[in-house]
Amino acid sequence: MLPVEIGLLFSCSGSYRLIAEACRTGALRGIADANADPSLHIELVPVERDPGGEADAYAPLCEDILANSGARHIVGCVTSWSRKEVIPALERLGGFLWYPCPYEGFESSSQVVYAHACPNQHLVPLLRWAMARHGRRGFLTGSNYIWGWEVNRVARDLIGEAGGQVLGERYLPIGDTDVARMVEEIRATGPDFVLNNLIGASSYKFMRALSCLAEADARFAPDRCPVLSCNLTECEIPALGDAAEGLVSTGPYFRDGAGRFGSSFEAAAYASVRSLAARLAHAGEVLDLDGLLSVPDRGELSIDPVTHHTTLPVLIAQVEDGAFRVRERWDAVTADPYLARRDRLAPRSQLRAVPR
Amino acid sequence: MVPDLGGARAAILHRPHPTVQALTRQLGAIGLSAEAHWPDLPPSALGADYTFFDADMGHDAQFPWAPGAAPMPTVALIGSEAPGRIEWALGMEAGAQLLKPVGDNGVYSALLIARASWEARRALAAEIESLRSRLAERQTVIRAVAMLAVHGGDEDAAYAALRQRAMAWRVTIEEAAARVLAGGEGRHGRRRTS
Repeated sequence: MLPVEIGLLFSCSGSYRLIAEACRTGALRGIADANADPSLHIELVPVERDPGGEADAYAPLCEDILANSGARHIVGCVTSWSRKEVIPALERLGGFLWYPCPYEGFESSSQVVYAHACPNQHLVPLLRWAMARHGRRGFLTGSNYIWGWEVNRVARDLIGEAGGQVLGERYLPIGDTDVARMVEEIRATGPDFVLNNLIGASSYKFMRALSCLAEADARFAPDRCPVLSCNLTECEIPALGDAAEGLVSTGPYFRDGAGRFGSSFEAAAYASVRSLAARLAHAGEVLDLDGLLSVPDRGELSIDPVTHHTTLPVLIAQVEDGAFRVRERWDAVTADPYLARRDRLAPRSQLRAVPR
Repeated sequence: MVPDLGGARAAILHRPHPTVQALTRQLGAIGLSAEAHWPDLPPSALGADYTFFDADMGHDAQFPWAPGAAPMPTVALIGSEAPGRIEWALGMEAGAQLLKPVGDNGVYSALLIARASWEARRALAAEIESLRSRLAERQTVIRAVAMLAVHGGDEDAAYAALRQRAMAWRVTIEEAAARVLAGGEGRHGRRRTS
């Protein structure tokens, strides 16, 4: 048996705890399954650190793992903020991050594997799907950091290209739950859809407030004005309760019945660990990331050696009776992190006009 | 507006070096194809959408264009921050810079900044050109009016006469003035071009 230490860097407390716990569950399950696989001859030993949701704690704890254990590979980070914090530490100390969450794109670090979706695998298909069905007038919301800013910037471009209109764009600091003004503006402007790029507690409060608005005014019911999300999954449904009904979300995986994983976060973290384990076992020696990516991983993750992003299915799903039901699916969409290869959304050429 | 980068071509003028590999990798991840050249940029590089050039060992004769006349956005690859080298890179009108060693970052923002500053410079040059030509035309008009005024009458009458010609010939005042001068309608009958 080849014992190999592997870092885990997830926040078990703080605003986005539910996502971090889903990732951690997937990673630990991947470690257990890899260790139980007699054909791999490898024993993964987790080295865990918990930054507690504090962005400034990530880099020191990442350095701690790399300096004080044998781990070179870390599965971790939820927010882009924390990912950008750890990259300089990874570069300096020769570590690698397997990042299991959707993000806003425009990055391609040689130290990172991006195991979840980037905008051409989440936002672009989601907006295409929604604008064709509900109209092109959107209201954009987000938490006040790079994820919300950049996803909404791309959304603005896409909506503009399609001949639509952005009726408003509002942000809240991470953890802030003062959503009344946002909701009031949405009520006043009456958009065709709301794009929710808030995270954690802000997002839950916002969804509950919109749900109340929909009950009071049918114009805001999900069939008329759905909430769209690029990162809400099964793992946050318990925090949303009934307010999740009608939510349209996108991701590479939804459980939809009898799926193997609780959410796409769990699935991505699991696949990261299994892919890493298979490559480490096959290589049998210490390799840098590019070396590791050139050895086979038994088909666990299709990682593009140029971008370090993964080819993934793209699913659009809607919450119905408390569970996501898949509405549309595209298999094997190649990541285009800089949105350099996408087809422009010519106004009305690829979109059906929806009469209002 | 973010430019279309997918399928764009980048020329790199740099000796074989890890910097070229790192640059090529980043360009590939963004969606551009890259071709490295050394010691000279061949004429085929004129068709590239972006050019990255070494500021450390570079000199004017390596380029198929005159200093400052690059037909595309350019990015200087700077290792030595010696003032003479910076000055030379400025003379080449680099629109953006990347510090060596080139790592994982910087290429995307360099592309966007180089594109924006190149387009701004091009727009400025076009505006200056149009202002220059309007200025030159104004001189032509003044000279034509002066020439016509010699035939008799004051400047107002000469200007009215020029306007009448412009209307009759169905051209602009400036063009009529140029014809008046070129056609030698003045007393001395000199053929002149503006």
